[in-house]
Amino acid sequence: MPLIKIISKVYNFLITSLLWAYFLFGYLFLLLFLFLPAIVISKNVSAALQNINHVHLRVFFALTRIFIRRTKFEIPDEVRQIRSAVIVCNHISYLDPILLVSLFPRHLTIVKNTFFKVPIFGWFLKNTGYIPSAPNEMMGAAMINNLEAIKKHMADGGIVFVFPEGTRSRDGKLAAFNKGVFSIARYCKSPIHLILIKNTNMLFRPGTFSFDTRPFNTIKLNLIGTLEPDFKSYNFSVSSVAQNARAVFEKNLLHS
Amino acid sequence: MTRQEIEREIKNIFQREFEIENPGFDDDLREKYEFDSIDAIELLLEIERMLGSELTQEEKKQAMDIRTINQICDYIERIIQTRSKAA
Repeated sequence: MPLIKIISKVYNFLITSLLWAYFLFGYLFLLLFLFLPAIVISKNVSAALQNINHVHLRVFFALTRIFIRRTKFEIPDEVRQIRSAVIVCNHISYLDPILLVSLFPRHLTIVKNTFFKVPIFGWFLKNTGYIPSAPNEMMGAAMINNLEAIKKHMADGGIVFVFPEGTRSRDGKLAAFNKGVFSIARYCKSPIHLILIKNTNMLFRPGTFSFDTRPFNTIKLNLIGTLEPDFKSYNFSVSSVAQNARAVFEKNLLHS
Repeated sequence: MTRQEIEREIKNIFQREFEIENPGFDDDLREKYEFDSIDAIELLLEIERMLGSELTQEEKKQAMDIRTINQICDYIERIIQTRSKAA
């Protein structure tokens, strides 16, 4: 049915444009009316910016639920209630990071370092406390200061979510894990929660512009494991923790 | 802890954590092995485990400019000496 296909494509395009328009113009509005005042007034600027960003993206997903009725979200309380921890996730869609931001008011994450060079956006990322992906960007004392800030953020109940594969999976298979996040967990002596993200790539496929609003889809975030390594043990190794985490994801992807 | 023991332990750490076998003691770690700041943090945490106590902020910051294994060994020796004098 070519006509139905055309209508469906137009509908997808319109809904996507509407949601991304909210996303982009929302940021411009927030920038002028909330971010700048927050920087002047707030004692903890990064916490304030994280919270504003969180609320903005909660609204984005509330609109997504309203306009894309066939997509449901299944996010258990055990995921929503995580605090003071590192969260490690698989990465299948651009929606993954913004979905996580919409769940956690106090959050940090690792962002591609090239984004830090984008005018205004880079300023926002830096002030929010996000961590550049290339560690060479923050050498020396800056690195230690940044890690101490992350440690304090987690002590205050914040989370750090990371996609250790570094990039989105195009075929659903798990790529090699970068060890960096596990070193951060060790430095902050924090537990590591493993969250399997499913079906965000059915709504927003890599390489496409429009959301696919047609299929009946349930986006799920499942807590598939928690690692609490004995960081002080003589046998502790970051490499083996990274391997264990990856093995848990492999096993769960195999059975899903 | 003698210099030899420090060197042996550092070599073990490099093999176990960074999969670097027999690194040259004067090799520039960043240039030759793409050793980055996250690796440096991991090394600091290994040094803390080796010394059996946490490093101070100042000690950690001093370590971030280290480039070679010889410098790492010097750094550890210096900390041991400073701490034994203070004790």
